[in-house]
Amino acid sequence: MIAIQVILVIGFIFLFWRFLANPGSHQVHAWIKILTFLFTVLAIIAVIFPDTANRLAHAVGVKTGANLLLYALTLAFIFVVINIYTRGKEDERRRVVLVRKVALLEAQLLEKNK
Amino acid sequence: MNSDTYAIIPVYNEASAVGDVIKTVKKTYKNVVCVDDGSRDNSSQAISSSGAILLRHSINLGAGAATQTGIDYALMDPKAKYFITIDADGQHDIKDAQQMLEYLIKNNLDIVLGSRFLGTAQNISTIKRLFLKLAAMFSEGTSGVVLSDPHVGLRVFNRRFAESLKLTMPGFAHASELIHRIGENNFKYAELPISVTYSDYSKAKGQSMMNAVNITVDLFHHRISKK
Repeated sequence: MIAIQVILVIGFIFLFWRFLANPGSHQVHAWIKILTFLFTVLAIIAVIFPDTANRLAHAVGVKTGANLLLYALTLAFIFVVINIYTRGKEDERRRVVLVRKVALLEAQLLEKNK
Repeated sequence: MNSDTYAIIPVYNEASAVGDVIKTVKKTYKNVVCVDDGSRDNSSQAISSSGAILLRHSINLGAGAATQTGIDYALMDPKAKYFITIDADGQHDIKDAQQMLEYLIKNNLDIVLGSRFLGTAQNISTIKRLFLKLAAMFSEGTSGVVLSDPHVGLRVFNRRFAESLKLTMPGFAHASELIHRIGENNFKYAELPISVTYSDYSKAKGQSMMNAVNITVDLFHHRISKK
């Protein structure tokens, strides 16, 4: 089980820092595309050759291909959640700037018309 | 009459309380800036009929954003030297703010914060007391600034502090952000005892304990994110 444990732990830490620290950077967007592409390719391969998942699983020390898929899915899910969270925060930041600007402009306008 | 001082009041659904608060504050300070943070009740009307300067957030952003908007507005006046933030629900006593301001000027400080623990807080529940103590420990650990009551709404500060503030966390985590700013810039700060009265009304509206979880996560994200 050692190989998969190392891969998973490194995967978790990498995703966590990478994406939480640089929300919305070009690198992150590029990684999203690369990972989406990789997942699609792997999914197609797994569908056409059901045995590949099993063989890959054995190679990294996991019992069955289904387990390996679950691990990959968990990683992907965490990645998606973190991405949504950071994107939400970024949106919030922009919204704050905008709403504040409107409030200040409105107040200045009212004062001028007094 | 104290034209170099701005009282800033973030308001969210306080139509029934904010009018009286403004009236009391106006007796001492001419410049009262109220930021209606997207209230769904008649807070805006209550503010404009009381003669305070009204700023309106078209949507609710949170106490931090509202405070910062008020500060931004006050800073546009080059004569503005001192700033007071005060809660809209009437829990604070404006006399405390006056004392804090005098103390700030006399001792040449950058910011004076009120403290509910040094003073006599009425109607404060044991669980809330405990929660606030924990918050104090957390903020001391992360910012190095020693305060007995970091989440207080009553604060008095000078222009230098106001200009450096730039709160970016819209919600209640802004209290921690403000304290972090003190530590970062080595501002001279002090705490003075204040009395607070929690009416049933303000108790019902107070921060829920679960919000502490939100604040902690938001702060953590804020610290590690590079922006």
